[in-house]
Amino acid sequence: MTLLVSTIVGCDKDEDPVVDPEPIIEIKVQPKFDGVNLSLDSIYTTDEGYKVQFTDIKFYLEGAGHNGNSLTDAMLFDYRERGTAMYCAEGDASLYPSIQANLGVGPDLNHDDPSAFPNSSWLNILKANDMHWDWNPGYIFVKVDAKVDTIVDATLNLDHTVNLHAGRDENLQTVDFQNVTWTSVGEYKKRTTLTLDMYKFLQGTTQSIDFKTEFTLHSAPGQEAITLKVMQNFRDALTP
Amino acid sequence: MGYEPTPYQLKIPSHFPDMPIPSDNPMTVEGVELGRKLFYETLLSGDNSMSCASCHSPQAAFSDPEQFSVGIDGIQGLRNSMALINLGWDSFYFWDGRAKTLEEQVLIPVEDPIEMHQSWTRAVSLLSESVTYRNMFFRAFAEPGIDKYKAAKALAQFLRTMISGNSKFDVIYKNENGLALNAEEQAVYATVTPEELAGYDLFKSLNGADCFHCHNGPLMQVQKFSNNGLDAIFADIGREEVTGNPGDRGKFKVPTLRNIELSGPFMHDGRFGTIDEVIDHYSTGIVMSPTIDPLIEYASQGGVQLDPTEKQWLKAFLLTLTDESFVNNPDFRKP
Repeated sequence: MTLLVSTIVGCDKDEDPVVDPEPIIEIKVQPKFDGVNLSLDSIYTTDEGYKVQFTDIKFYLEGAGHNGNSLTDAMLFDYRERGTAMYCAEGDASLYPSIQANLGVGPDLNHDDPSAFPNSSWLNILKANDMHWDWNPGYIFVKVDAKVDTIVDATLNLDHTVNLHAGRDENLQTVDFQNVTWTSVGEYKKRTTLTLDMYKFLQGTTQSIDFKTEFTLHSAPGQEAITLKVMQNFRDALTP
Repeated sequence: MGYEPTPYQLKIPSHFPDMPIPSDNPMTVEGVELGRKLFYETLLSGDNSMSCASCHSPQAAFSDPEQFSVGIDGIQGLRNSMALINLGWDSFYFWDGRAKTLEEQVLIPVEDPIEMHQSWTRAVSLLSESVTYRNMFFRAFAEPGIDKYKAAKALAQFLRTMISGNSKFDVIYKNENGLALNAEEQAVYATVTPEELAGYDLFKSLNGADCFHCHNGPLMQVQKFSNNGLDAIFADIGREEVTGNPGDRGKFKVPTLRNIELSGPFMHDGRFGTIDEVIDHYSTGIVMSPTIDPLIEYASQGGVQLDPTEKQWLKAFLLTLTDESFVNNPDFRKP
């Protein structure tokens, strides 16, 4: 007689019953704006008094792991399509007291055929979707789309579009999340939630981004400085 | 050992990703054959006058050259029939994305009162009267019996075989990305004109036509919904009808540009009859609205402001997306 034991936790709500489930690691990302949970299409106010409505926030973490243990080839955060979900798979959280990763896609994978990655990989063109430019520039590492009203008055007019799409090998950043806190969710799942503070992204640690003048970026020639700023500010805004 | 249908090997171009196949509907030779027959089957309409092919004609890249298709009761549809190209890679179906799978999608037009207006119960009953169909369903599913779900699976299998990846653009794409060209492809590449290449540059250029934000990769589309600046006020609210979210107002599925030369008229309501009109729209005709896609970066200026020469180049490139071997493929024609 087979005894089926239902899992009480899993990556999906309707996971099939399994026997002796493997432990699961889950990484989520919670976007915030100045400490408050951020919702897409809601309106926030920048330090300059601009009204901003974020419409898309996406980024890649590639080669995430610790001390020779690797989680997966790449993870894609897509706030509109997948909410706070970033990664969920079988694994032992105790192997990852800290996590190091590339913010973006490293040059070893960045220019490979995006159709050749397995369908399960977030680097596959079907999953990358609009996060792949072309083979030469490769993947978009960080994407922030928004609509902004940069005229500080009583009238709300979000007629100013912001498209910050950063990539290219030379702009790759690394993140090093020390002292990752894994919280038990049920018996088998461990979860950690990273914070992505878009207010901090705009303010930066050393240099701020002004949507009035810095509203379009595709890492084209001549955009090296702003690309680096976007990547560094995004890196600093992402914390464990 | 019982009867087993024959596995079907999809002919996927080398520069395409693998096609995701649902585990409960594996591709089989017999399933595809049945789906093809059903695609052209008029018994699926209430007065037995229309089939799927009535609004998805091979000559029009499996779309309808009319702005709106007319159903069996003479009622005009509300949206332009979408071209059936590379559907196996799509994540959602219909202009508003209301179907998440092909199997779900193909069930809907049959019962839609402004389309084929036939109940599936009646359609299944009619199909069951046919010895040919009873045998074909048995061969496809290795069990007796006909139902609408089997019909949907077979239709979906056939639609997944409708792969277009053999245009001049494919040769340009492969060459640009360092993929080997065979002798035939090299010969095609030798015919690529400077205008076509200039158009491709514009297509990809962020300061040019800026098309590739939404029409990207070998499939020439991204999976998303977009308000592409057609209207300020929407007679058709599009995706919002499905989600109920006002933030989705006026958003529609981004279609592939493959075979655009053949698949007009264009946009969800077929308002543009020619490629030139489409280019004019993105050049100077963009209309602002609260849900406009922020990826249309020059929306506030009305568009990307192409000059006449640039428009000509862009059109030349768009015509390279025509895949004659797709529209003329005998495997997709009426059996």
